[in-house]
Amino acid sequence: MLRKLFALIILFSAISAHPVIFKNGKVFWITQNPSFNDIRFGISKTSNWLIGGRFLEDRKSNETFALVNNNYLAKRWNNRNSQANLYLLSSVGLNTKNSKSMGTVGIHGDWEDRKFMVMQMLEYYSHNSAVVSNTRFAYSPYTVDYSKTSTWLIAHYRIEYSDSKYSYMFFPVVRLFKKNYLVEIGSNGDNTFLSFMTHF
Amino acid sequence: MKNFLVFFLLFSLSFSQSKVSIQDKEIEINENEAVVEVLGMVCSMCAFGIGEGFAKTDFIDKSKFTDGVSVDIDAQYVQLGLLESTNINPEKIVQVIEDAGYDVNLLFILQNEKLTKFSTDKLGILQPIAFNLTSDIDS
Repeated sequence: MLRKLFALIILFSAISAHPVIFKNGKVFWITQNPSFNDIRFGISKTSNWLIGGRFLEDRKSNETFALVNNNYLAKRWNNRNSQANLYLLSSVGLNTKNSKSMGTVGIHGDWEDRKFMVMQMLEYYSHNSAVVSNTRFAYSPYTVDYSKTSTWLIAHYRIEYSDSKYSYMFFPVVRLFKKNYLVEIGSNGDNTFLSFMTHF
Repeated sequence: MKNFLVFFLLFSLSFSQSKVSIQDKEIEINENEAVVEVLGMVCSMCAFGIGEGFAKTDFIDKSKFTDGVSVDIDAQYVQLGLLESTNINPEKIVQVIEDAGYDVNLLFILQNEKLTKFSTDKLGILQPIAFNLTSDIDS
């Protein structure tokens, strides 16, 4: 049943664009990457703190986790025509089958303007002691105004270290967003990366 | 009498409409409107939060623009329709922008036939820097 649910949501699957949003804003996002299926719902209590729930499935071990998610915008640099952010990320919760505790911690930095974006995120997962690095370089071939659909072409590098082994992956990803909806689709032939996010 | 009314109307219009400039873009501002230069507003998701914030306030005239707010991401500004009955406190506008996670650089308000320009100083405090402007203003 759970797998069917994920299969359905994969059509709309998503990524962490802005881990914290506007005050009292709510966010729903779904991500599928080679390691995880990840569903999140959160509310930004302030413009720099978001708290919410997270349902995480480890696709390799078939473990599932119910987590409380806590994202903190440590610093934002708002400039004319650009923005940069530093986020601290964490989740704590339980394995849904054996109630063993599980947690994640992470750090996320990004910079973007109307045409370019760079992002680096490092995360640690306690259940398998994995460290995951996601790096992105993105380019928007054209700029559009608020009401139109924006397109970004993204080079996404993913490095995972677990069980004393490194695994590397590269995904070309296309990001489309319009107003409060964001969709990302990527594939390197062997693996897919999908994500859907909305703010409301 | 008729001539006087026409003259009065034209005279009023000249004081209830003006132009301001943000990032070299000239923007027409009318009576009971504000124009805000928003630093960091580089995407539509950023702008969405700002629009949502203003929608919850009690000073926006939702009959103007789209629910009272017009967004220009390229020139990084929002234009607001203000309720005629409200004498707007500029700090309220700044608070909405900051609650969305962004900063105000310049703010223009045209109310009661007075165009006032505010700027955020180095400490992040909004300061009025020009009053009673009725001609074109450059940022």
